[in-house]
Amino acid sequence: MLTTSRALAFLLVMAPACAEEFFEKQVRPLFASRCAGCHGGKKPMAGLDFSTTEGLRQASGLFSEPSRLIAVLGYEDRVKMPPTGKLPAAELDTLRVWISRGAPLPPAPPQASESGPRRNHWAFQPVAKVEPPPVRRSAWVRSPIDAFILAKLESHRLSPAAPAGKLTLLRRVTYDLTGLPPSLAEIEAFTLDSSPEAYEKVVDRLLASPRYGERWGRHWLDVARYAESTGADEDRVYPFAWRYRDYVVEAFNRDLPYDQFVREQIAGDLLPPPAGEAIHTRGIVATGFLALGPKLLAEVDRTKMLYDVVDEQIDTMSRAFLGLSIACARCHDHKFDPITTRDYYSLASILVSTRQFQRLEGGAAQLLYVPLVDEEIAQKWRRHALREQHLKQESELFIQRENARFLMAHQARVADYMLATRDPERAASLDPSILKKWVAYLNSGKDSRPYLAEWYRDPSPGTAAAYQKRFTDQALSWQAGIERWASEVEEARKNEEEAPMRPRIPAGPDRFFPDVALAGAGPLGIPEKERPQRFAPEPMARYQAAQAELKALEKTRPPEPPLACGVREGKAVTQHVFIRGNPANPGEEVPKRLPAILAGERQAEIRAGSGRRELAEFMGSPANPLTARVMVNRIWQGHFGTGLVATASNFGSMGEKPSHPELLNYLAAELVRRGWSVKAMHRLMVLSNTYQMSSLATPAQQAVDPAGRHYSRFPRRRLAAEEVRDSLLAVSGTIDFSTEGSHDDVREAIPVFMQEKRLGQDPDKSRRRTLYVPLRRSNVPAFLTLFDFGDASTTGDGRGESTIAPQALYLMNSPFLTGRASELAKSLLPLTPKGRVERAYLLIAGRPPSTREIDAALGYVAAFPDVADLTGWTSLCRALFASNLFLYVM
Amino acid sequence: MTRRELLSRYALGAGAWALDAAPLPHAKPRARSVIFLFMEGGPSQLDLLDAKPALRKYDGQPLPESMRAGLRFAFIQPGASVWASARHFQPRGQSGIEMSDWMPHLATQADRLSVIRSMVSDQVNHVPGQLLLQCGSPLPGRPSLGAWTLYGLGSEARDLPGFVVLFSGRAPQASGGIYTSGFLPGTYQGTPFRDSGDAVLHLSNPTGVGRADQRRKLDLIGDLNRQHQADTGDPETESRIQAYELAFRMQAAVPGLLDLSAEPAEVKARYGPGRFAQNCLMARRLVERGVRFVLVSHASWDDHADLNKNHALNCRLTDRPAAALLEDLHARGLLDSTLVVWGGEFGRTPLVQQEKPGRDEAKGRDHHPYAFSMWLAGGGIRPGQVIGRTDDFGLSVVEDKVEVHDLQATILHCLGLDHEKLTFRTQGRDFRLTDVGGVLLRKLLA
Repeated sequence: MLTTSRALAFLLVMAPACAEEFFEKQVRPLFASRCAGCHGGKKPMAGLDFSTTEGLRQASGLFSEPSRLIAVLGYEDRVKMPPTGKLPAAELDTLRVWISRGAPLPPAPPQASESGPRRNHWAFQPVAKVEPPPVRRSAWVRSPIDAFILAKLESHRLSPAAPAGKLTLLRRVTYDLTGLPPSLAEIEAFTLDSSPEAYEKVVDRLLASPRYGERWGRHWLDVARYAESTGADEDRVYPFAWRYRDYVVEAFNRDLPYDQFVREQIAGDLLPPPAGEAIHTRGIVATGFLALGPKLLAEVDRTKMLYDVVDEQIDTMSRAFLGLSIACARCHDHKFDPITTRDYYSLASILVSTRQFQRLEGGAAQLLYVPLVDEEIAQKWRRHALREQHLKQESELFIQRENARFLMAHQARVADYMLATRDPERAASLDPSILKKWVAYLNSGKDSRPYLAEWYRDPSPGTAAAYQKRFTDQALSWQAGIERWASEVEEARKNEEEAPMRPRIPAGPDRFFPDVALAGAGPLGIPEKERPQRFAPEPMARYQAAQAELKALEKTRPPEPPLACGVREGKAVTQHVFIRGNPANPGEEVPKRLPAILAGERQAEIRAGSGRRELAEFMGSPANPLTARVMVNRIWQGHFGTGLVATASNFGSMGEKPSHPELLNYLAAELVRRGWSVKAMHRLMVLSNTYQMSSLATPAQQAVDPAGRHYSRFPRRRLAAEEVRDSLLAVSGTIDFSTEGSHDDVREAIPVFMQEKRLGQDPDKSRRRTLYVPLRRSNVPAFLTLFDFGDASTTGDGRGESTIAPQALYLMNSPFLTGRASELAKSLLPLTPKGRVERAYLLIAGRPPSTREIDAALGYVAAFPDVADLTGWTSLCRALFASNLFLYVM
Repeated sequence: MTRRELLSRYALGAGAWALDAAPLPHAKPRARSVIFLFMEGGPSQLDLLDAKPALRKYDGQPLPESMRAGLRFAFIQPGASVWASARHFQPRGQSGIEMSDWMPHLATQADRLSVIRSMVSDQVNHVPGQLLLQCGSPLPGRPSLGAWTLYGLGSEARDLPGFVVLFSGRAPQASGGIYTSGFLPGTYQGTPFRDSGDAVLHLSNPTGVGRADQRRKLDLIGDLNRQHQADTGDPETESRIQAYELAFRMQAAVPGLLDLSAEPAEVKARYGPGRFAQNCLMARRLVERGVRFVLVSHASWDDHADLNKNHALNCRLTDRPAAALLEDLHARGLLDSTLVVWGGEFGRTPLVQQEKPGRDEAKGRDHHPYAFSMWLAGGGIRPGQVIGRTDDFGLSVVEDKVEVHDLQATILHCLGLDHEKLTFRTQGRDFRLTDVGGVLLRKLLA
């Protein structure tokens, strides 16, 4: 029925929903196979051309309901088509569905240049310099941000909320910048500091804390869909993913300029190394951004797999940095944004010219690990490893060639040997030791070998001759395969590449040749101990020399250098548009270049290399209006819950419009003006009065600004999964603040190439910050999922905040929480009962309790048998942890 | 659904756990709940539901050259030999649906179910195939069928999760991906019942804490939250208070649910022994209590080797309970309102996979997504018929091809949901379970 290839079907299933794909996947193939034979070509019958989109467009009168086409195909019309017989019902159904949707056809090919409203979309316009607007209540304006916010509030006759209380603000800014609650000492210091700079000092302290990078690095890791395994089919561990994670944390902590951060993640390996260093270690690690995505390593069609990986990278990269879903253009020009398939395949061209895998072939594709040492040392290690690998293959080659020589010498006697097993008379001219093996082989009692059935049925000379012919044919083709392999090994040696493995005999029902010739126990197989007597002396000597060298090499093998999961430059590929995403259907050739809507039609030609470096330059350039806009919006979202553009990774025409476009422009310009400093943006935002407002809404605010999109008050938020767990550890005083490195100490002892190992799973066993908990893509820890962590498989644009009963079960009953509550209670016991309640409130809610709250708490604990006893206090701490006092940042 | 409605659902959150998510059938529902008997790994349709006597003629020989074009398997080559099933098939019930002697109990239910022999998938490997079947896409990140159902209809279970997942068997490959809520709010994800420790994660009180203690703590949490609500005016607080109350009720309800001692002995006997049998009985009890979607997963049917031995075992473990489930649902008047689906992510090849030449008993079959069988019964399904036909080799479908999205569209239809209207907007566009596919399988419907 449908003739679409399975590969194409797969692409289409993956691709975004739209009518065009339904047409391409189901309707067009049907017209092509059922109609276009006559209604197509140079002289289409009846003037109806069903073979092209334009032809169908001209015939569209047939498709409007009630459709003449359906009548004709349903044999309900005077004309009955196709004349060879009525179409199957399912195909008619497909056409009915298509027609019921208005028979949509792909749009006419785009004209030379995109124009009109799509090009004028706000996000593509240059970042213009904006002055803060005038406001009536100018005294409220502390930061330029406030002017933009206030202007809008005033236009809605709203006033901003009162300033938040001091301790509310301390708790808010501490969680926002570090993901942790303020400590007792921090609360005390801030309470006592009545200077006007007290809050600013807190902000600077928090921004300088290593905890800051852990909190904001995690925001970025969501965007980078960070996880430590490939997910999908094989779910292999990325053994060095943690280096990228640590790089991100460090980048935020040292305030790496954002443009540099962007460039490094796309092409850090190609940037000039820092002064005095031979390689750009940080840059190589940064390309983990590209390398750490989900991958279908065992996909049978490796070309498709490679293009799926590239597609995933284009998707993540374009949404992360540009807020555009360029991957939509894999199968067709983007439906809503001015991105063409040419743009898509130009980018794809850059990424397929990038080395993504160690080896693409084999059972599952092998991941690429990039050494983090001087090129010289890395070369030495790689050459050594390659030399070992080549020697192994060459040794194997000596053996297989000798095997081949031996087989060629004996293939003409196969029939003689077979017959001699039944008739000793025929044994005269045969090698008795080989004959012995034939006897064992043919009379082994393994009569269920189906390929020998013929021989057992009729052990005649004719049958034996037929077996011998099959044997000789296969031996010749096998020998040819060995020689092909030999030249590939030679080629690999010359090119300093990993040599391919010996060709395998394809599995099939006829095992006669492999069982006889290649199995060590086969009649013509040569087990290792017989090699000296059967092999010619010269190859045998070379084999033994190779073995000796191999042994020596193993002894002098340099230690494995530090490695990273990243990408490198690959062989430059000439890329074509794949029509409807199908690699088997190449269309026009495309140059390596950047999307025309952003970089213009006229671009300098990329002549050398993959073009990744040029792509990185472009992504991290102020000339590209999206990069700065998207990032300031993410920072805003991190502080205010919702971005100025609510769809943080979609700035296209299907995304939300900015609530404060001028403010977004202003901030984007500021980011660039301040040298792309992210910390400068934090200061700008959290020092504003807008940030310091109370989260309590007045009835007027509630009525006019119910969702808070005008920022009439500060939006309260629930703690993220990491904040819940990290706070439990911090408050109970048991947190382990060690940073960096693999969480998995065992790994160091295991060779890199043994990847079968699964990551440890149980975050409850660790006391480190949640950021460092192993993250296996196919099995994200239940605790994280419970609190809306997301799936770590697609780029994230913000966390959800669900309120569900399993969270309640966790907060009431989880042993982890109970354990931390008990540790906290223990630390309270030395205090007076009232002092215990006060401290618990300070630690958990960030403020002292009211008298009423103290009484309620003491009353609660008093019901337990003994006030001095841990049980009651543990229970109180658990209740506080389970309450919104703890779970919400106000 | 409008954006506002959607946001309010998200905020209320407890939707999947109680009646408060506005039910949204697009049409009159035929089924109220779904029990999906997921035969993980891919059972062999050729040994169970799709008799191919013509294979005997070719047994032990490779396929004719002309049939091999375009075949692509996970492990074996298209040149592998044909392996005819050793099973005995015969027509069952009034409807005469052919089933093999490995399904003697299901055979007694032949007139209550319909077999689809023309399922096709485009995924050759397990995880992508399972994700396609359960979530509509081979790539991770999409919500599962159960999550979409709950999102569309909410749950009628007051004290239980609306979407429950039960596992049995050995060597499962399925991950949380098959019951995830994907980009839908976390409320809609499946809750796996575990077979060791608490059936539901964190269900039991901490050691040494009694129910009265727990109640007192809950009251304190309630007081703290109400005070918080008074201080902040945060309407979300009410959802949180409700979530705690629901969790507390669940703590009481689940042990009762799990306690099978009140089930009559003959009912238990009908289901037979084993984990899968228990899970089938549990599925009925869940559906009885208003649970919307129960995914009962049995692993693994992935018999690349020793198929005869392992499939026989899996059939012994699953055939009787699945049949008992239909019988039991019927006896309680629940079958009309419960849709039961049986099947795996793909079927198995008519060609042999033989890793150990000479050991016939070790023969197995490779993955075969190009033509496989499933069965459905209950709410909305016209019983006693066979849909679709495969060629004489069982290699491909020759009549009424049913794609995975078609099946999903049809399941949603039985629940009163229109697969083209049940959408969720994320990443700047509307997503749906069936992506761009899905043609309603009208022949299957009552």
